[in-house]
Amino acid sequence: MFGRLVRESFVRNPRRKLLTAAALVVGMAVATSTLTIVLEVGDRLAREFRSLGANLLVTPQSDTLPVEIGGVDYRPVDEGAYLSEDALGKLKTIFWRHNVLGFTPFLDVPALVNGSHEMKTTLIGTWYEHEVSVPDGTTFKTGLSFTHPSWKIQGRWFRDSANEAVIGANLAARDPEVFAIGKKIRVAHSGSANAAWDLVVTGIVSTEGSEDNGIIVPLSFAQRFSGRRGQFRELFVSALTKPADSFSERDPLKMTPTEYDRWFCSPYISSISYQIKTVLPGTDVRAIRRVADTEGSILSRVSTLLWIVTLTALGAAALAVAATSATTVLERRAEIGVMKALGATNALVAGIFLAEQLLLAIAGAAVGFVVGAVLARSLGASIFGTAASVRLILFPVILGLAAIVALVGSLIPLRRAAHFNPAPILRGE
Amino acid sequence: MFWRLLWKLLRASSGRLTVAILALVSCAMVVSALLNLEFDIERKLTQEFRMLGANVLISPGNAAQATGIGPGEPMSESDVSGALQDLEDPAVVASAPFLYVVERVRDTPVVVAGTKLEELPKLEPAWRIDGAWTSPQDHLNSCVIGRNVARQFQLLPGGLLNLTYLGKSAQLTVAGILDAGGTEDNQVFVQLAKAQDLAGLNGQISLAQLSVRGTTKSISQYSARLAARLPAYDVRPIRQVTEAESDLLNRIRLLVVSMVVLILVLTALCVLATMAALAMERRQDVGLMKALGGSIERIVALFMAEVGVLGAAGGFVGAILGIVLSRWMGQRVFGTAISSRWEIFPLTIALMVAVALAGALPLRMLGKVKPAMIFRGE
Amino acid sequence: MATLVEVEDLRKEFGNVRALAGVSFCVQAGEWIAIMGPSGSGKTTLINILGGLDMPTSGKAVVDAVDVARLDEAGLTRFRAQKIGFIFQQFHLVPYLTAVENVMLAQYFHSTTDEKEAREALERVGLGDRIEHLPGALSGGEQQRVAVARALINHPKLILADEPTGNLDEANEETVIQLFRELHGEGRTILMVTHDPSIGRLADRRIEFAHGKLKQILPSFKPEPVR
Repeated sequence: MFGRLVRESFVRNPRRKLLTAAALVVGMAVATSTLTIVLEVGDRLAREFRSLGANLLVTPQSDTLPVEIGGVDYRPVDEGAYLSEDALGKLKTIFWRHNVLGFTPFLDVPALVNGSHEMKTTLIGTWYEHEVSVPDGTTFKTGLSFTHPSWKIQGRWFRDSANEAVIGANLAARDPEVFAIGKKIRVAHSGSANAAWDLVVTGIVSTEGSEDNGIIVPLSFAQRFSGRRGQFRELFVSALTKPADSFSERDPLKMTPTEYDRWFCSPYISSISYQIKTVLPGTDVRAIRRVADTEGSILSRVSTLLWIVTLTALGAAALAVAATSATTVLERRAEIGVMKALGATNALVAGIFLAEQLLLAIAGAAVGFVVGAVLARSLGASIFGTAASVRLILFPVILGLAAIVALVGSLIPLRRAAHFNPAPILRGE
Repeated sequence: MFWRLLWKLLRASSGRLTVAILALVSCAMVVSALLNLEFDIERKLTQEFRMLGANVLISPGNAAQATGIGPGEPMSESDVSGALQDLEDPAVVASAPFLYVVERVRDTPVVVAGTKLEELPKLEPAWRIDGAWTSPQDHLNSCVIGRNVARQFQLLPGGLLNLTYLGKSAQLTVAGILDAGGTEDNQVFVQLAKAQDLAGLNGQISLAQLSVRGTTKSISQYSARLAARLPAYDVRPIRQVTEAESDLLNRIRLLVVSMVVLILVLTALCVLATMAALAMERRQDVGLMKALGGSIERIVALFMAEVGVLGAAGGFVGAILGIVLSRWMGQRVFGTAISSRWEIFPLTIALMVAVALAGALPLRMLGKVKPAMIFRGE
Repeated sequence: MATLVEVEDLRKEFGNVRALAGVSFCVQAGEWIAIMGPSGSGKTTLINILGGLDMPTSGKAVVDAVDVARLDEAGLTRFRAQKIGFIFQQFHLVPYLTAVENVMLAQYFHSTTDEKEAREALERVGLGDRIEHLPGALSGGEQQRVAVARALINHPKLILADEPTGNLDEANEETVIQLFRELHGEGRTILMVTHDPSIGRLADRRIEFAHGKLKQILPSFKPEPVR
């Protein structure tokens, strides 16, 4: 009988339920979308930041002190330590391999270039887009396009194994006749003019850094030029990381096994660096602090901001649902009066109403969840370029929220209704 | 009578209005906090990207670059400092000249940068120092070494460092070890006079760096003015916020705004729900007023005024809370002081009134109430 | 005496229900008319139409030379404010306004409020010491007297009362009826719906309704006015 009463009550007079339903749908939609966004924002921003450039630097551990001014290393080529190019594929085998978005090796060699007069410059050997073989049999495409997206090219980048070159903007500006796209330039070792190579200029790059003073060439060329086959000097890595916190900065050797697990399985810069050092022994892995610190602080600040907004949105949603639930109960005082006059106990009346509100809440929240998911996806798409993923785990949370708020919202006027004398209601007052 | 009526209406329904007021206040709080931060945020977040370091570079003109060990033609120290003094600008937070010479420590080549050691912490606040920037006892002969140098030569603060250059040598006290997170970790920083003296390059510098506060535009303008004063040299802004970075910031802002719009919609809904409940409670009163000859317009105006007062009150209280919230956030989250902007008040109040009225629009349905229907039950 | 109210073939239908099935009668200025009949006979509907609270389906209803049936919404509003004074069975005072404010409410919707005048009106109905009371603090009879003061404050041409003593106990009923007698003595035109024959006998004429139609109009035997 109870079920029937509830059903009858629920089905009758749908127009009155419109307001509550609207509040539930809109409220839960907003709650869903804000929660989805705020839970995602960390990942989204991390990806966005990676589009701004590499955040890790790998160098040989036993390297001698770089004699480097303005980004140009003046050490003689045979001095210092080098890293092996072959080992790079292993970067895509570490635990966090999917977070390694790209890596680019660099090998700098001083050279003389034939301009209107002989000029001393640096050949910067690197990859633009290079296929690296990974030990599991696959290949991974990486290079400057992944780690240095802010470098602006006029013309095009060199092909991996061609004798082509891209000239830095400052260098090109000094002799625009010589360093023009399509022209051939001649480079030779500084000190001995024996072997000289011809390179075709395919583009001019603007990096806003010291590379603007040099000539960027394919790594393979720089290796042949310097006699350092299969080697490079430093590696820039672009990895999706989690901002450092007090936990991440602890010494892994001093952690308990559980703590170590937790640290290893979180994409902190420290743990990713550790994993890189494991597959590339003899290296020093550091965060490019200027980049990493900035990102970390922006991320935490935006996160806090968004959480505050999300919590307010949740509060507003709860208030909206509570308000409309209360209104619904109020509207039906006459019904309540009739039921009580017919002898229904307070408990029964409350039971029917609350059951009805619960049904409404679940239905409304379900619809609201779907609407909210769509909203979050389109917001994510328009702002971050990729749609936010729907987190199904939020569904029970949203349902629970709606149910609790609707029940609490109805309870208060119901309690007052319990004390109603049905007579005045029946007389139409 | 209008105001008396309004006041009595509000008082009579104060219980029912709590939800609406709560919604309006919290919405106003978030909106005003964000508005207050907004004025400051762009600058703060932009500065983050720049990571507060040197952002203007004075270097020798183009033609003279990379002609040997050491970056090109030396510049005149007095020319540069003279130009800087002439253009005295409070936006310049710090400035330091640099002279780079490759000298030897125990026969190993090391890059030595002569500069004004006291200016370094102001120029690059992100650099961390273990020890001090200068040694209190021996100001001129102190140095700061990068952590890679310290590791290579096993030096600690207080230790002694011997620099030799073409037969001349100098003994310096290590005042501190620098952790810059970049190539500076491989360098040795000494006082400019000492480096000039050791290398025999008195009065000369390799380049100068400045840290200038302001927007991208104002920094560009400043460096253009400086360039005009130093035509022989190259003056340019470096490490500016790139397009990609400011685009990202704009998108973050857009996201926050969208979420706030959603909150506004919800608040209007709360107001609507509350007023719907009120409208029901007041059907009798409305019918009576119509019977007494009250026109729909007047009655609706009365209720709209009630809603407007709610919105204004909620907006006012919310704005106060919001300013407090933004100051707290400024302190705890952004690590900076946020000023309270009084324009927030009228803006927030106006917005809340608009939201409240929007939420109450359906109240106009009250106009449809037929007085006869109220009294029919008699 | 001038004809204040003229009703001609007035009909009102609510869907299939015929509340008024063609009613015609006249009321002279200064008359006290009792409208009687079983419940559902159309009495309240008639009062509502005459008071401009409801529109007839067809027919004429002229009050003070204004055909209510032809008025638009705005016209009805003005009509109610200027020509009519209502007194309801349920009193219908605004619960959060004091007695004087309830009277001023009627002034407010008519033209301007005059608190002094409102106070005097309350004194005239014997509520001089209850002026600042809320309806909750007044007895049924006192509330109805406030309603009477309210109905009179704008000097309406026609007073419409719907079972004014229906909610009152005997003692209060007496007081309120006495008020009506005074109003009648002052020359006011009163149309009162009642089911109480003893009240009906106080009126000048009784109009009896049944099933939406006028059954008969009876003049009353009027007792001597009570001093």
